Amino acid sequence: MKKILMIMLGLFILPFLIGATNYNYSYWGTAIHSAPGLNYIASINSETLEVNLSSPEDLVVHDNKIYLVDKNENSLIIINDSFQKIKALTEFSYSQIYLDILAEDGIIDETSLTLKGPYGVDVTDNGIFISDTGNYRIVKLNHSYEVVNVFSEIDESTFDELLFEPRKITVDPTDRMYVVAKNIYEGILEINSDGTFNRYTGVNPIKLTPFEIFSRSLMTEEQIAQLQLFLPTEYTNVNINEENFIYATSKVSENNDENPIQLINPKGVDVIERDGFFPPMGDIQYVEGMNNYVVDGPSSIVDIAYTNDGIYTVLDQKRSRLFTYDREGNLLYIDGDAGSQSDKFSEGVAIDYLGDDLLVLDRKTKTIIVYGLTEFGTYVNQAIHFHNEGQFEEAAVVWEKVIQINSNYEIAYNGIGKLLLRQEKYKEAMEYFKLGHDQYYYSKAFQEYRNNIIKSNFGYILGGIILISGVLIGRKIKKVHKEGGSILYED
Amino acid sequence: MKIKLKEIINDYIRFPAYIMVHPFDGYEEFKRYKKAKLTVAIIFIILFAYFQIFSYTNLGFLVNNNNPLELNSLEEIFGVVLLVFLFTVGNWSITTLMEGKGTYKEILMVTGYALFPLLIIGFPSVVLSNFFTLEEMAFYNLLMYIAYFLSGWMLFMGILNIHEYGLFKTILTFLASFVSIAVMIFVGLLFFDLIQQFIAFVVSIIEEINLRY
Repeated sequence: MKKILMIMLGLFILPFLIGATNYNYSYWGTAIHSAPGLNYIASINSETLEVNLSSPEDLVVHDNKIYLVDKNENSLIIINDSFQKIKALTEFSYSQIYLDILAEDGIIDETSLTLKGPYGVDVTDNGIFISDTGNYRIVKLNHSYEVVNVFSEIDESTFDELLFEPRKITVDPTDRMYVVAKNIYEGILEINSDGTFNRYTGVNPIKLTPFEIFSRSLMTEEQIAQLQLFLPTEYTNVNINEENFIYATSKVSENNDENPIQLINPKGVDVIERDGFFPPMGDIQYVEGMNNYVVDGPSSIVDIAYTNDGIYTVLDQKRSRLFTYDREGNLLYIDGDAGSQSDKFSEGVAIDYLGDDLLVLDRKTKTIIVYGLTEFGTYVNQAIHFHNEGQFEEAAVVWEKVIQINSNYEIAYNGIGKLLLRQEKYKEAMEYFKLGHDQYYYSKAFQEYRNNIIKSNFGYILGGIILISGVLIGRKIKKVHKEGGSILYED
Repeated sequence: MKIKLKEIINDYIRFPAYIMVHPFDGYEEFKRYKKAKLTVAIIFIILFAYFQIFSYTNLGFLVNNNNPLELNSLEEIFGVVLLVFLFTVGNWSITTLMEGKGTYKEILMVTGYALFPLLIIGFPSVVLSNFFTLEEMAFYNLLMYIAYFLSGWMLFMGILNIHEYGLFKTILTFLASFVSIAVMIFVGLLFFDLIQQFIAFVVSIIEEINLRY
């Protein structure tokens, strides 16, 4: 009886265990089985936090505190790292500094402000920055949650006709703000710490097909004016890293799905490395065209979070997946699953790393889902750390463990191959690079291997050449001699 | 035995090589003195189909971007046969209208013989590609470019000679051949599509009858 119960239980649980199949993309671009890198740890919702959540929009981690903004409740919620509520604020009183500024302008009767539909938040050591979208302004708070400054007038000619609707915001250590605003196609707004507009940084390039270029060259200006405008795609999110490079995500345009993830340097140029088998763009294979039954089109990347060693994770809202890449652009692991269970999310809007754990904010279920590294993920991150430090031996040891868990993992084979190459075990290195499809390093190992063979057999090779040429010359002499001639002089 | 071997070498290597370097004299002998053989041309075509499969799997790792799991020998063979069939039929249908002197058999033979450089250079260079590093792959590419160029050259000169055309007329017939190939592909696809729809129609009628009675 007990046995039958166990079997029944097993049959009942099994579909749940195998429900989510983790995958990764092979060199050939096909989805192959992989191990999960991140696993569900906990979920935090309005009950556990004892606050009202109706449409949480952004989440940021600073100094082990989680800052959350809610668009409908117009609130800022602060949570500590054991996921207890510290504070939930809807009204922000003015600090003395801001009161002084207001007094200069002749306003003395206001003492506090409220938010209206905030979409984004960022926190630095200097303060908390909230993009107060509904009020067309950015609010800067200090760490005791008092208003220090409000930026609403952006002196840029675009905003003569257009309302300034800041969506996502990220701030560098000198309080310079990088803002993604609605209906702005020029790029990311760079606003100085005093609220003056500086410039646009990072522009999504437009790609035209040769046919479009050709047909446009034939059209008159009036015809071109009637055409649909080719606008660069909007950015969806920004996140500045320690080196003041901006990780930016954007929507994909119709004929260019290859740069939804960018790393914009201070000069405004996209410098993200795309050295993996495929450029970082979320899912590589997807259904194209109109179809009501499956989710189609490329991934829609809405947020990006980074952790140590240049590893970053992006959130695909369309299919509720998390893609983690390393600095070189290798796709490390794909996690996340769409659904309404507590370990899944259905409309992810923001992610950020809290230590090694990844927080995913779900707008629809109003939950924060906490993902932690699995054994596999820990090993991968560790190996990449060692690799970045140049400790190839330690890295290879960890890569071995990774392969034991997931023998499909091509990056691990390359890691081991690099150690073997350093140890001058060229033949083994070649095998590993072949498994990892690294043609560059395979070529290097092969060159050394070939040189060694030629070196060790040089005598035989030279002997063979002399022997063959000797035989050929001898036969020629014999032939000429037979015909009655001589090779010493010509007849 | 020795004579037989000599004959084979002459048929399969000496004569095609002679055509390659002396196109006018070579094709003169090819057409007027009937030195070319249909079996040779067909064997070259078969060998070319084999070359496609061979290079798919045996190309050096550094230049081989083919997924070994996706190799389909029948598909490769079919591709080569289709290509030869389309070109020969396309060219024949154009040249008969444009007073070409060549028969269909001769066009087929020219196409077969034109594959000679691809085979004689292609097989060794595929083998060699296994012994090159990434930097040296330029040699492999160079060899393959030469092979393709020579094949194109032999085909062009062959068509020019067997139809007794001038240069511009040959270019014109080549272009027209490609148009006719496109037309053939279009008609073929149309035909298959219609047949498919017709079959689907018949099947659905049968199903309907089965369900009713």
